[in-house]
Amino acid sequence: MAAAMRRLLRAGGRRGAALVVAAGGTRSQTLRLIYTTTAAWKKNVAASGPEKYTEAFIKKQIEEFNLGKRHLANMMGEDPETFTQEDIDRAIAYLFPSGLFDKRARPMMKHPTEIFPEQRKIQWGEDGRPFHFLFYTGKQSYYSLMHDTYEKLLNVQKHQDQMAAQDLPPQKEKKNLVGSRWLTKTELEEMLLEKLSDDDYSRFIQLLQKLVTSPCGNIEENYIKKFSREISAQLQKVVIEPLKHDDRGVAFSTGEGERKTSRATVIVYDNGTGKITVNGIDVLHYFPVLQDREQLLFPFQFLDRVGKHDMVCTVSGGGRSSQAGAIRLASAKALRSFVTEKEVEFMRQAGLLTVDPRVKERKKPGQEGARRKFTWKKR
Amino acid sequence: MLRSLKGLVCHPLKLDHGYALHTAAKDCLSSVLSQDVQIPAERPRAVFYTNETDPVKTFNEACLMVRKPALELFTYLKNSNFAHPAVRYVIYGERGTGKTMTLCHVVHYCARQGWLVLHIPDAHLWVKNCKELMQSSYKKERLDQPLQASSWLKNFKTSNEHFLKEIKTQQKYVWGKRESTEQGRPLGEVVEQGLARVRSASDAVGVVLKEIKQQCHLGSFRVLVAVDGVNALWGRTTLKKEDKSPVSPEELTLVYNLRKMMMNNWNGGAIVTTLSQTGSLFKPSSAYLPHELLGKEGFDALDPFVPVLVPNYSQREFESCYHYYLHRKWLQHEQARTEAGKEELRFLSGSNPQQLERLAGPL
Repeated sequence: MAAAMRRLLRAGGRRGAALVVAAGGTRSQTLRLIYTTTAAWKKNVAASGPEKYTEAFIKKQIEEFNLGKRHLANMMGEDPETFTQEDIDRAIAYLFPSGLFDKRARPMMKHPTEIFPEQRKIQWGEDGRPFHFLFYTGKQSYYSLMHDTYEKLLNVQKHQDQMAAQDLPPQKEKKNLVGSRWLTKTELEEMLLEKLSDDDYSRFIQLLQKLVTSPCGNIEENYIKKFSREISAQLQKVVIEPLKHDDRGVAFSTGEGERKTSRATVIVYDNGTGKITVNGIDVLHYFPVLQDREQLLFPFQFLDRVGKHDMVCTVSGGGRSSQAGAIRLASAKALRSFVTEKEVEFMRQAGLLTVDPRVKERKKPGQEGARRKFTWKKR
Repeated sequence: MLRSLKGLVCHPLKLDHGYALHTAAKDCLSSVLSQDVQIPAERPRAVFYTNETDPVKTFNEACLMVRKPALELFTYLKNSNFAHPAVRYVIYGERGTGKTMTLCHVVHYCARQGWLVLHIPDAHLWVKNCKELMQSSYKKERLDQPLQASSWLKNFKTSNEHFLKEIKTQQKYVWGKRESTEQGRPLGEVVEQGLARVRSASDAVGVVLKEIKQQCHLGSFRVLVAVDGVNALWGRTTLKKEDKSPVSPEELTLVYNLRKMMMNNWNGGAIVTTLSQTGSLFKPSSAYLPHELLGKEGFDALDPFVPVLVPNYSQREFESCYHYYLHRKWLQHEQARTEAGKEELRFLSGSNPQQLERLAGPL
C-alpha cells in the first residue's frame, strides 16, 4: 500500500536532479549516476537522451500498480477483477478530494506507461556498435520513417505503371481528406521519440501528401492512416430547436443566456408589439438606464425585427449590466428558431451567440487587486 | 416636478396662429378645440414644464399633444354643474407620461374659456428648499414663505389681470401698522400689497384665495384651481424650524390656505390636480398611485375625486410625436428618419414621452 500511496502522490513524471544512465555492460543492469540540472531538460522528455527508467523499474511499477488497483477495489468494495481505469479515477477523486483547478495537479493513479513517458532504449550493444543502420545520421527514426514512406511511394508508382501498361483505368476512389488532419509536429515527435526540426516535419508531410494525392494511393491506406487524425469538432453541430406553439396559437421559443454571474431564461413570442417584461416588471422600470435597453435592442435590431416580438424574461444574479448581457444572449439564442440559417450565421459572426467568457479576475496576494499593485515607495 | 421653475417662471408668450396643436392629433380634436384653433390668442400665457429642457425656447412655440386624458377632462368640465360643489380631478400616472402637460392643457383651455385660473406650478417647491422662513404675523404658530408667495403672486397677476380689477374685497384687511386695504377695493390692490411688502406676501395669498372662494359661487366667473404635485400638501417637508424641529405642512401658511381651497365646500368651479413623484419627498420612485403618493391624510382630504390616468403613448400618439420632431427638424440623425430608426426609438423609449424626449435630444 505504501508504494501505491507513493505512486498516488506523484504528479506527472517529474523527478529529482539525478540522471541515471546505463553504460557499457549488460543492456539494462549496470547503472552509473550522471548529474545534470532540471533546467537542462526540455519538454520532450522522450527524446532528451537514453532511458532514465530501466525496464526492470518500469516492470516493478506496473506490478505495484496492479497490486494497488486490487487494494483500491477492495477498499471501495468493488470486484478487483472488473475494476477499470474510470473506476480508479472515480475512487481516487472520492478518497482524495482536491480543490486545485489544474486537473494535472490533482492526485492521480494511472498505469505506469501513461505516467512515465516512453523512453528511447539504448541504441548500441555491448561492443558499442549501434543497432540501427542509420544511427550515425543523428535522427535515425526520422530518416528511417522517410525511407519507409519513400519506399511506399515507389511502390505506388510501380503499381501505377503496371496499371498503365495493362491499360486499366486508375482507381479514382480517393480517401476523403476533409475530416482528417495530419499529425502535428509534437505528435510526430512523440511517435518517433526524437526531436525534429520544422523543416524535417514539413518534408515528411509533403511526402505523405504526394503519396495520398497520387492515383493508386489507396493501396497504402493502412500506412497513411497511422499518420492522420479525425477532426471531431465538425461533428458537434448546434441543433436549432423548431418553434413551439402555445394555447393561443402564437409561436414562441425559449433561450438561455449567461454573463458573469447572471443567468437568464427568455421566451420570445411571435406577433407581438415589442413589449418586454423582466421578472414581472416592465422593461422601462427594470432597466432605467438606456445602455441596458440598448443591449436588449441589439438582437432584434440586427434581424430587423424590432417591434415584432414580445418577450418574457426571468433573470437572476449579477448586476444590471451583466443581467442585460445575459438577456441579450438568451434572446439571440431564442431568435435562432425564427430565422433562416444564413442569418444565424450572421448572428454568430456578429458575436450575438457567443458566451462572453470574461469573469472577474482573481485577486492575487501581494497586490491590492487583480492587477493593481500596492503603492510603490522608493524608501 | 418643476425643477427649473426659477428659470422658467413667466414665459409670457404670444400664442397666436404661430402655435399649432399637433396636426396628426387633430383627428381626435373635439369641436371645442377646433374653435380654439381659430380664435387667435392674444393674452400672454405662462407655460410651465416639468423637465429641465425647455422646448418652448427651442421651437419658439409651445406645443402640446392633444391626448385622451385631456379630452376626458374637457368633457367633464363642460358637463359639470356649477351649482354643485367643486369636483376634484386627480391626474395620476407613471413618471414621465405627461401629467403636467395635461394639466397645462386644461389650464389653457379654461383660460381660453375665460375662467379665473389659480395655477400652482409645483406644490413641492413650497415644501422644500425654502431659504427664508418667517414666523407669521397673523397666526403665531404658522410659518411664512415670502419668496415663494411673492413669485406666485407675480404669476397670478400676469395671468389673470382683468379679474383682478373685477373682484372686490368684501372686508377690510390690515397688513401692518400703516397698511390696510379697505372693503370694496379691487383684488389687484391686495396683490400689489403682497408684492410690495414681501413680508406679508403669504397672507396676501391667503386673502386672495379666501376672496375668490367666497365670491365664485355668485356665478360671475368660474374658478379653476390647478395644482401640480398636490401630494406635497399632505406629505412631509424638508424644512426645519430654528430649533431644528421638522416642520409639518400645515404649519406653512401657503399650504394651509391652499388646503382650504382644495376642500369641496365651494361651488362654481373645478379643482384639477396632478400627483407627481419626481419632486416628492420620502416616497419611493416606483409609487404612482394616488393612495401611495397622497398618504392616508391626503387621500381622506381629497376623498371623493375623479381619477384620471395618463398612460404612455399609444401607437398613434408615438407616431405623431415622432413626426412632430421630424417636422421641426429636432431629429438630425440620418437614421432617425428611417422606419428602422423609428422602431428603435419606440423600443428604447418604451413609448414613454419623457424617455422619448430624452432620447431625441442628442439626436
